Amino acid sequence: MVGLGASKGGAILALETSCDETAAAVVAHGTEILSSVVSSQVDLHARFGGVVPEIASRAHVELVGPVIADALGEAGVELGELTAIAATCGPGLAGALLVGVSAAKALALVADLPYVGVNHLEAHCYAAWLEQPDLEPPLAVLVASGGHTLVVIFEGHGNLRVVGQTVDDAAGEAFDKVARHLGLGYPGGPLIDRLARDGDPAAIAFPRAMPGEPDFSFSGLKTAVVQHRRRDPGGAIADVAASFQEAVVDQLVDKLVRAADEAGASTLVLGGGVAANSRLRARVAEVAEATGRAAFLPPLDLCTDNAAMIAATAWWRLQSDGPTPLDAGVQPSLSIT
Amino acid sequence: MFILGMDTATPQVGVAIGGSANGGTVLAEVRIAGDRRHAEQLAPAIQHVCNESGVRLDQLSAIAVGIGPGLFTGLRVGVTTAKVMAQALRIPVVAVSSLDLIATPLLDGNGGRAHALVVPVIDARRREVFSARYRVVPGGVQREGDYTVGSVEDLIADLEAGSEHVLLAGDGVSRYREQFAGLDRSEIAGPEFGFPSVTALVQLAAGRVEREEFVQPWDVHPMYLRESDAELHWQTPR
Repeated sequence: MVGLGASKGGAILALETSCDETAAAVVAHGTEILSSVVSSQVDLHARFGGVVPEIASRAHVELVGPVIADALGEAGVELGELTAIAATCGPGLAGALLVGVSAAKALALVADLPYVGVNHLEAHCYAAWLEQPDLEPPLAVLVASGGHTLVVIFEGHGNLRVVGQTVDDAAGEAFDKVARHLGLGYPGGPLIDRLARDGDPAAIAFPRAMPGEPDFSFSGLKTAVVQHRRRDPGGAIADVAASFQEAVVDQLVDKLVRAADEAGASTLVLGGGVAANSRLRARVAEVAEATGRAAFLPPLDLCTDNAAMIAATAWWRLQSDGPTPLDAGVQPSLSIT
Repeated sequence: MFILGMDTATPQVGVAIGGSANGGTVLAEVRIAGDRRHAEQLAPAIQHVCNESGVRLDQLSAIAVGIGPGLFTGLRVGVTTAKVMAQALRIPVVAVSSLDLIATPLLDGNGGRAHALVVPVIDARRREVFSARYRVVPGGVQREGDYTVGSVEDLIADLEAGSEHVLLAGDGVSRYREQFAGLDRSEIAGPEFGFPSVTALVQLAAGRVEREEFVQPWDVHPMYLRESDAELHWQTPR
């Protein structure tokens, strides 16, 4: 039985360790964030130009205890006052996921609370709920990050379907690869975003892949940037960044709107680290207004990986499916079904 | 008061619970061998030893954990579980090398005394093994030198160069049985000594808790002995 009558009223502690952020959060009733702590490992991975799974896994072991203590402390909640403990169980890096899942189960054992394993992609869709609990389904949600790029139609709690996804690189991966090629550094998204403000997005006509189809592709775009630089090594790098970013954003917006049209969704929602991109946010806001839709653009700290969205998802999952058994493992390739 | 011990550094998941007095009498023990599903098996195994022994987690005075060396992913499951449980219960951790936990049981009437050296060997994959050397002394085994990682051939050559009788044990020995079988003046311990012993862990921990030889949860770290591939390659001059 799920006890909702505790004094703190249904607060869930959730952990997120699917990639390179170690995060813990306490959220009440799936909507009220009591605390959200994120310890980023970006500095550990920067010199390698991308996330190194073994380094990420090792860092999670060291960081997970402190983020749990901070999340409970900031929320002013004792372990025994919680309703459940949740953790991301997939998709993500296997070794990294294991740390959060093991830590969550350890807390569930100690406090004799239900454990809930959460789908990270589903959670990105739920981030919107944390800010706006009265969103009207169906929603068209674009989740774009370093590891994922997909459009999800959210019909209701527990009723999500993927209508398009990348066939090769994720959008964030394309930003990282192009940033590395341009010698900008890592992570690429914020660096290209900043540089692109000084460039002309129409300077170079990079390809928009898979027009008219629901799926995404970004590997050809990266190749096009490399080839362009070979032909024109002296060209303004800001123009390359702006034109590349525009090609990515065009593709993302095009497929989001297309999915919203088909599903009759009146709200566009963004999630994932790429949703922090200023050009993407501006374009989604524009297109929403132009098509008479609402746009929900979560604050940046709810777009990037965080545990508040995991706790919010766990709240709804616990109501519909009950606790996850303690012998459940991690699912590195988990998808939305 | 009671001690909960766990080791997941090898394909075996081991959990035991015992009294912290009288040298750590083990009340319940679970050993699940083989399929490397540490994250799935550890929490139910802990529940099982609690149910069997009738001990509640809030009655624990310490958590003991085998910190490796061994399988990186397995190691992280056990160390994370031990650290987080201890933090939540506000109790200390006794961290013990998983090599110590193979060596220790080889003492009592198990042939250890007939040999000058006890050498536990844990499979490190890539034709490498983790190992350490222990000498039988009155009342226990004492480690000589460091915990090491190296090729099977190097370890065998090292042992061959000595003139002492060696007792070998661990999954690294079973994995490279043919090579180790060729070693003179050596014996391979029975399969029951193939994995870190959580009974030994609880017993060792009982003594250490009494002597307050424990650490706080945040000071417990897995013993990897090997850097990640990325770091290894990064440091290789190109």
